Amino acid sequence: MTSIEFTHPLALLLLPLALLPLLRRRRDALPFPWLGLLPVDPLGSVLQRLWQALAMLTLAAIVLGLSAPGIKAAQIELIGRGAEIAILLDRSSSMDAAIRVHQRTVGESSAALQSKNDVARQALTWLLQQRPKNRFSLTLFNVAPIRVAPFTDDIAMVQAGLDASDVGRGPSDTKMGLGILAAIEGFEGRSYSGSRAILLVSDGGARLDKPIRERIKQGLARHRIALYFIYIRSSKNSPNLELVGTDVDARVEEVALHVFFAGLDSEYRVFQAEDPDSMARAVAQIDQLQNLPLIYRQRVPRIDYSRYCFAAALGCGLMLAGLGAVRLERLA
Amino acid sequence: MTISADEFVYKLPGNVAGNKPGAHHSHSRGAGLAFAAHARLFDQPDPRRIDLHASLCAIPRNWMVRTHYQRAAIVVSAIVDVSASMHCAVPRNKLELVADFLKALGFSAFRAGDAVSLMAFDQGFREDLYLAPRWSRGIGAVLADRIGACEARAAPANALRGLAECLERAAGGRGGLVFLVSDFHWPLDNLELLLPSLRGTMVVPIVVWDAAEIDPPARTGLLSLRDAESGEMRHLWLSQRTRQRWRAKLRQRRREIDRAFAAHDIFPFHLNGVFDGGRLSSYFLEQNV
Repeated sequence: MTSIEFTHPLALLLLPLALLPLLRRRRDALPFPWLGLLPVDPLGSVLQRLWQALAMLTLAAIVLGLSAPGIKAAQIELIGRGAEIAILLDRSSSMDAAIRVHQRTVGESSAALQSKNDVARQALTWLLQQRPKNRFSLTLFNVAPIRVAPFTDDIAMVQAGLDASDVGRGPSDTKMGLGILAAIEGFEGRSYSGSRAILLVSDGGARLDKPIRERIKQGLARHRIALYFIYIRSSKNSPNLELVGTDVDARVEEVALHVFFAGLDSEYRVFQAEDPDSMARAVAQIDQLQNLPLIYRQRVPRIDYSRYCFAAALGCGLMLAGLGAVRLERLA
Repeated sequence: MTISADEFVYKLPGNVAGNKPGAHHSHSRGAGLAFAAHARLFDQPDPRRIDLHASLCAIPRNWMVRTHYQRAAIVVSAIVDVSASMHCAVPRNKLELVADFLKALGFSAFRAGDAVSLMAFDQGFREDLYLAPRWSRGIGAVLADRIGACEARAAPANALRGLAECLERAAGGRGGLVFLVSDFHWPLDNLELLLPSLRGTMVVPIVVWDAAEIDPPARTGLLSLRDAESGEMRHLWLSQRTRQRWRAKLRQRRREIDRAFAAHDIFPFHLNGVFDGGRLSSYFLEQNV
């Protein structure tokens, strides 16, 4: 796996050029009538050998650099714990509203309260930091799904997407069905390597029409995806999903959604969050749930060594130039 | 006529052999100033030289004539080493130095009335550079041109066969003066065998060394040198210590050369970087003391 490969192996044919400094060239030495007149100097011979070695190294390094050696791009399999989690975050205008479960007391300003989006983001940020070995994808949805980040183990990327969701206000419409389908699509074509989950964070429900329901149902089943619904209760008036059974004929959107999810074959859990604390608890619960061994493949890019070769050639060349500077060009 | 600075005066110790009138003391009788002996007028019919006093003293009475030694001319041979080491240009071709010497020799020999011949050797005898003894005013320029324009022959070094042939030819010339011009960068052992063939001839070895050989470069650094003959390389780190060893080695070599010739009562003349006729003149004066 760590074997060296060459981008231009043909360039290695030039490698015998490195033997050139071994050839004795008349031009390099000054003619002298008779060497018998001169003392033998070991230091001089050593310096000459050094010169030859440096020259050979320089040539070899340049040729090697031209052939561009490197370690092949590879995919390595890593085993982590956790899951592939597709975060599906509601980014409609209602999420910009503050969580207000209790009545506002006198003197309490609305600015002091955190918006639902803020709370969700903080909790998700915590989740990301908690599970750096998991793979996350991030999809925002309102009128249409926005694929922010595909599945990646680059937590920073997902985090950046999450941070960006803070900017501006979302439109009022919410097409949750399309969002869920987009999140399911994110699993398309990926080999099953561990548990999968969609983390749906929303403050409201949606009425899904029949074809979409069918597609969601099939998609979740086919990809074996668990669905976690973090339901942010906006106010006291929002229905309490934990108290709702599956056999209710629901008129309220949230309840209808909940009932639909509960009726699916896939694993489904709902977490109700009414304030920042309960939101954090819900995320912590999910953190505990999805902690199975996960095999994932990581792509290691090709490592190119040619610049090291060129750097070595430059170094040798500089030393050669140094030796050349002390070489005497003429007698007397 | 002025004497150019590079010209030198040479004089051989003792008498030389030779019939041609010249500048050197000889045993030949003839028109000279040195008195040799008296002879009967009958034997030497030269009435201009009748010696009245000797005639009166002669018993039995006879007309006596003075006879004189004649000054004789000799053949001066220059035997020049033209091997690759002499061609080596650091910074100036050593043969150019030799050419300077030959120019001076041409002038000096012509003035003394001597014939000059040129022989050259590297691995073998250089027939193409050979010049038989001749008298000529411009002989120096001819010699200098010949040596200056000669090409080095690349061949394995077996220096002394050529030298042996040169000496053989020089010895054939019955005495005289032989300049042996070389850097003597070859084994001196064989010299012992060769020199006896020149008995009766004055041999002046001229050791031509270049300034660059004598003085190592003053700069400290890495010096790569290639032997002009064998092509072998040597690398020196030129430090103060290396420089000292270089000079010591050179002194040692000079002593070796001097010793090799001293065994034959010959003292080499060292030509270090520049030819100076005055120095060569004093060399000959010293030899005659």
